[in-house]
Amino acid sequence: MINKKSRVLFYTFLLLVGAVIAEITYLGSKSGSERINSKVAFVKMVGLPDLAISTEASYVRHRSMSDMFSIFKDDGSLREYFVSTFTYSHSRIINKKSLNEK
Amino acid sequence: MRNKINIYLIEYAINSLLRQKYKSFFITTVLTLIIFILTSVFFITNSIKYELQSTVDTLPEIVVQKIKAGRHSDIDVSVADDILEIAGVNSTVSRVWGYYYFENLGVNFSIVGIEKYEEQYKNSFENVAKTLDFSTNSMIVGEGVKKSMKKIYYNEYFNFIKPDGKLKKIMISGVFKGDTELESNDMIVMSKENVREIFDIEDSKATDIVVKVSNIDEIQTVASKIKLMFPDSRVITKDDLKISYQNIFDYKSGVFLALFIITLFTFFIIIYDKVSGLSSEEKKEIGILKAIGWRVNDILKEKFYEGFIISIFSYLFGVLLSLAFVYIFKAPLLQNIFTGYSELKTSFELPFVFDIQTLSIVFFLSVPIYIAATIIPSWKSATLEADEVIR
Repeated sequence: MINKKSRVLFYTFLLLVGAVIAEITYLGSKSGSERINSKVAFVKMVGLPDLAISTEASYVRHRSMSDMFSIFKDDGSLREYFVSTFTYSHSRIINKKSLNEK
Repeated sequence: MRNKINIYLIEYAINSLLRQKYKSFFITTVLTLIIFILTSVFFITNSIKYELQSTVDTLPEIVVQKIKAGRHSDIDVSVADDILEIAGVNSTVSRVWGYYYFENLGVNFSIVGIEKYEEQYKNSFENVAKTLDFSTNSMIVGEGVKKSMKKIYYNEYFNFIKPDGKLKKIMISGVFKGDTELESNDMIVMSKENVREIFDIEDSKATDIVVKVSNIDEIQTVASKIKLMFPDSRVITKDDLKISYQNIFDYKSGVFLALFIITLFTFFIIIYDKVSGLSSEEKKEIGILKAIGWRVNDILKEKFYEGFIISIFSYLFGVLLSLAFVYIFKAPLLQNIFTGYSELKTSFELPFVFDIQTLSIVFFLSVPIYIAATIIPSWKSATLEADEVIR
């Protein structure tokens, strides 16, 4: 004799387990091998490593192909990155002066 | 002994939980939240690892770059022929690629040059690009690049500014499929001649040289031979890339590690709180149960059911939520840690990996610990005499 509350609890757990399994099957069916194949084909063609998860600058994008701090050699117009440059900002007056002199 | 699971004890446990509605609800919510965060973090990191590992093997075995005054510099194309003479080297390709900084939007495009009309490229293009028209002045772009160009009304072509200030008009002939977005978002592929023109690289120079070695065991030897032949070169092997991948991963997951530690810490505070003692009401309850004839065994069983119900419910619900959060809703807040502040954000669709290890780690970090935290203090009270507990 299973009492009512235990039964409700049992069904709740059953429902949760069912939902988790259904979700996993759904997600599993969505990611096919075709996706991986096209990724592999793409990486093979381009030959560049790293994911484009951070694409803000090249040294992050293809980090493994460059030095840790190669931001300075890549492009002069890249924005400042290091935390210290935000904390200790250079004097803008000095910069202006040097521009005027030019 | 016939019926090991005592239904009446389970019902008593449910009633006991319902009696302390708010407390049970609060604990379940917190536990669910912690499990949710933990599993989400593990799911994201696992998927990214999987993504990296599934593509790493297709990368070239060795990449040779020239270092001049401590900086990367263009390498002579003729070096490729010299390397080809080393025993064990299968083929060499001099590559031309670079980053084009587009000031208007503040984005970096990765431009890669490939040989025109090569059969191998045509085949792979069919797999990765939606449309294909590989004429002289055309390029295939990633979805992110396409979107950014569209923002400034470049729908069919794009004007690259060459180092001498002149414009180079290149037609957009195709877009990479969404499947590869995590890799191709900032990528532009066009013919080598065009890349040379845009970056002003002479015909005799290349960005780097890719070396293919057929025998994996020979990679290190070939690499050291190249290093001996060209002392000014930087030789990057596939293993170096793998290590570097790990570094990127560690770098990015540093934030996650902090999150993980905070979550664990919170969890252990809750458990400590539970272990450090029962409330006087709970003690009284145990005393009364003992007084009316319950054995220590029964009390512990009942407490086990209580802990089990709460922790299993939280675990299942937490896992359910995090699966939906990461793979269906694409991790709304957590993904910002990965995508950064870039204009060229990927849509962050991670491949689904069913990892039993992750699920069991989270399970063993939550369920048994919580059950223990419920049983141990009850056991302390239950072993005392009934009148002593009630008082």
